[in-house]
Amino acid sequence: MNGIDSWPRMLIAFVGLGVTTVVTRGSFFMLPASLKLPQRVEQALRYAPACALTAIIVPGVLTRDQHLYLSWHNNELWAVLVAAAVFAKTRNMMVMMAAGMVAFTVLRLYA
Amino acid sequence: MSSIPVPTRLRDAFVPPLDRDGFRRGVRVMSTPGIAIAAWGLVTGVALVEGGLSAPKALVMTFVVFAGSAQLAVLPLLASGAPLAVVWITALLVNLRFVIFAAASRRFFTMLPWKQRLFSSYLNGDVGFAIFMQRYGHAPEAGTTEQWSFFFGTATVNWFSWQASSVAGILLGNLAPTSWGLELAAVLALVAVLTPMVNRVPAILGVIVTAALSIVTVRVPLKLGLLTSVVVGVIVAVIAEAKWPVRGGTDSATVEELSHGVGLDEEGYAP
Repeated sequence: MNGIDSWPRMLIAFVGLGVTTVVTRGSFFMLPASLKLPQRVEQALRYAPACALTAIIVPGVLTRDQHLYLSWHNNELWAVLVAAAVFAKTRNMMVMMAAGMVAFTVLRLYA
Repeated sequence: MSSIPVPTRLRDAFVPPLDRDGFRRGVRVMSTPGIAIAAWGLVTGVALVEGGLSAPKALVMTFVVFAGSAQLAVLPLLASGAPLAVVWITALLVNLRFVIFAAASRRFFTMLPWKQRLFSSYLNGDVGFAIFMQRYGHAPEAGTTEQWSFFFGTATVNWFSWQASSVAGILLGNLAPTSWGLELAAVLALVAVLTPMVNRVPAILGVIVTAALSIVTVRVPLKLGLLTSVVVGVIVAVIAEAKWPVRGGTDSATVEELSHGVGLDEEGYAP
């Protein structure tokens, strides 16, 4: 077992992930007070999360078997677009999840 | 300080001196956002199980990692057997916003012994940070008992409502049939984290470049395409910011965009 079902692998993964939580949240709490964040670095830190989330979401939705999958039959794509539009409008996470899942289910069953 | 039964010596080592009123005020102010946090936790719990983690592993992950966005972001990587280094770097990238939070709020905590500082920083999550800075960000005196009490009040509500709802979501997700296609829930939750971050030109450009590159490089082995796309996207965003500077300073904008878009009124209540 080498994947998500392996306890040893997942435990090592979780501990490492926990370390990233503590290291990032603790960074400037633990560092000497004289240390300041240069402006360029702060800007880079600010945009990194958005870019990282994009790099996870976009290939997940827009590719299948490592090829671009732009199609009317790509139900995930349409569900995500519906959900994003609803969230931008309402800023309500539960409404957004419901809209996305309903869109996905309707497309899956009837399209 | 509260009714939570913790041995006094352990509490004194990790928690700064608190007063009851400040703590209660923190709890009260956090109670409404606490409901939103519970919704997040529930969705994250369901998504972790639907994304392929067994319920026991998802439970361990929730308590060990305590960072919902990063947990959801690495889920597809864990499922596809990506190298652990890539998993950890991805989580680090998503968590980098905490470095900004830490830099912004450290003046309230620098005078504390290191154990108390470490524990406070661990609790310094998205929504609690936004609410604390909203209330005390411009306070002339930093590091008062009142501020620490308020912080630990909000942090306590945050931790319990997040963990309890995550556990509920994990158990719930475990019951739902896989044929319902609920694995999409993880993607949708990430879209909800991402959307408030992408509202100005530099971020929009960075995200578009990252998106395009992540498609082009999808066949690069070891998910190195993912890391390359992020690095290039960030560079594009930083260059763009030099051209289109953020109006009125970055502080308040950063707080709202990076902390799940929690908008707060003057009292510090989320809508």
